[in-house]
Amino acid sequence: MLLAGPDSDICLYLAGPVSRAELRRLVAQRHRALAGAGLGRGGSVALCLAPSLAFVTNLLASWQIGAQVSLLDYRLTSHEVDGALQRLLPQLVVTAAHSSGGQLRGFFEITERVEVYPGRPAATGHAVIQLSSGSTGPFKVIARDAASLVDEVKRYTMIDGVPRGGERIVSLASMVHVLGLVGGLLYGLHAGVNLTIPARMTAEGVLSTVAAADLPTTLLGVPFHIELLAAVDRPPTLPQLTGMTTGGELVRADVRDRFVQRYGVRLGNMYGMTEVGVIGTDLFGTHRPAVMPAPGLAVRERDGELQVSVPVSPYLGDQDPTRWADGWLHTRDAGTVDARTGLVRILGRRDSQVSVGGLKVDLTEVEHALAGLPEVTGAVVVFDRAIEAYVTLADGAQVSAVEQETATRLAAYKRPRRLHVVGQLPRTATGKLVRDRVVLRDIGPSAPAAGADAGDEAAETAGAPVPSRKVTPTMTDEASRFEEIRQFVLDALTDMNYSTDGIDNDTTFGPAGADLESLALAELAVRVEDRFGVKFGEDEGEALAGMTVAEFCHTVVPRVHTAPSQ
Amino acid sequence: MLATYGDRDPGQVPEAIDSMELAWLLHQIAQRYGDIDLDDDLLARMSTVTGVVEVLADLKGPVAG
Repeated sequence: MLLAGPDSDICLYLAGPVSRAELRRLVAQRHRALAGAGLGRGGSVALCLAPSLAFVTNLLASWQIGAQVSLLDYRLTSHEVDGALQRLLPQLVVTAAHSSGGQLRGFFEITERVEVYPGRPAATGHAVIQLSSGSTGPFKVIARDAASLVDEVKRYTMIDGVPRGGERIVSLASMVHVLGLVGGLLYGLHAGVNLTIPARMTAEGVLSTVAAADLPTTLLGVPFHIELLAAVDRPPTLPQLTGMTTGGELVRADVRDRFVQRYGVRLGNMYGMTEVGVIGTDLFGTHRPAVMPAPGLAVRERDGELQVSVPVSPYLGDQDPTRWADGWLHTRDAGTVDARTGLVRILGRRDSQVSVGGLKVDLTEVEHALAGLPEVTGAVVVFDRAIEAYVTLADGAQVSAVEQETATRLAAYKRPRRLHVVGQLPRTATGKLVRDRVVLRDIGPSAPAAGADAGDEAAETAGAPVPSRKVTPTMTDEASRFEEIRQFVLDALTDMNYSTDGIDNDTTFGPAGADLESLALAELAVRVEDRFGVKFGEDEGEALAGMTVAEFCHTVVPRVHTAPSQ
Repeated sequence: MLATYGDRDPGQVPEAIDSMELAWLLHQIAQRYGDIDLDDDLLARMSTVTGVVEVLADLKGPVAG
């Protein structure tokens, strides 16, 4: 199904064009090599390859053989890979014997190495296994069968605005992860779309790749790529560019506007999960900030969480009913579904997962990795524009040792940007660790994550932090509570990159005052809910734009319990 | 320059540079100094702030004359 098509069609473009005939030939070659190494129908193979032609040919050949493929990100440390292999137990492992290497490459030139592993044939009928950063244990094993993948490719063909046969996708999204894998590679092969990967992932590299061919072109990427491209002052005219689509978190309005203005093309959004692929889209930007569920899927909201109709559990191993039950997958995203239009709004995560350049990282995994180190007596990991870790160290422990060990245990994209060594981690009145990033920012010195000169000295002089007034939870006085909420709102606005100059108690949140757009209002409401343990109804969310800062704080004060929501 | 990505205070930028920051940095350099020839060696040197400063000094050398 994927390889079918005219011989001369260019279906891929990495270092050079790859025709269907050529791809079929390469896949047949890999088929022989993998079969020769012992892979058969019902067998299992793990691919640990960077985006490359080798990745594509080994993946397709393995499926052609009828084997189950596990995909491991090439950036995982050997510690993480070993842990994954021990859990997955594949019969063969394919890695890079030689790789072209280098920074900021969209793809690599790889000569693969196939090794036998003491594993076993596939235990299930799934076609592809992927790992997600997990909150319990090192990772969650996500499995999709051929039907699920085929369904998703079909879903793409039914969505208006998706590139058609004869067109081109320039993908900045890794083909090893669901967006680039299904939305780019599998859909592209099926629909006869030329999938091109830029050699260099710089703004210049991406734009020159787009300019290199006349085919109607869609860019596929993640929000970071929009920021990068939107920052180019005078981009070249690209008449072949029809639009860009990003997956992952929503792009900030000001960045989005600048992109659309500079490139004169639509910016679309895709919402999905590794477990099921694309769930909803807004490819023309008409539904923003909401998305329209893809044909063939149902989305509902239960207790503030979005759920997606998925017939079979996508997880291997012990079944957790809080993840999937009775045909419904829990997304762990807070959101709403409009009863009339069906449009879905995603309001934020309900768990500790964050997106780092489009890659999902569970902060709890990072926290457990740190807390498990002998040098570390306590750790809190938060997301404050980047992953930030606050740790207490055992007597005599060196932060450089912690950094080194972290580097062997966690792939670079999961590692904390900075390790803040403090004398004491702040706690609430009930003894729980404070995870409020604004509060944590105020305490203690920090050590830069790489072995910089100042790092060790800062670590050794770290004293017990003085908890600021915001940490003390025993405020029962209404005026103090009002002030606490007001300050939190101002800090939140600053954190969301809104200026608080000129915002006073009488400023409204909407267009007449602070001018927060609707997604920002929703985000503010969610932050207040999380921090103060309150819950706003849908009507209240909509009324927020017309409220002044004071009115809003007054509505929250009586609803806050005396102990923080932690 | 790195501080402009994510609107950070220059004191807050850590020494190590990840790939997103590197891409952003290269963009800023191109805006300020024009396009520079990129190769893997050059990019490898730019994995820390110190490395970037050295690379920039080399780049400006011939221009400053």
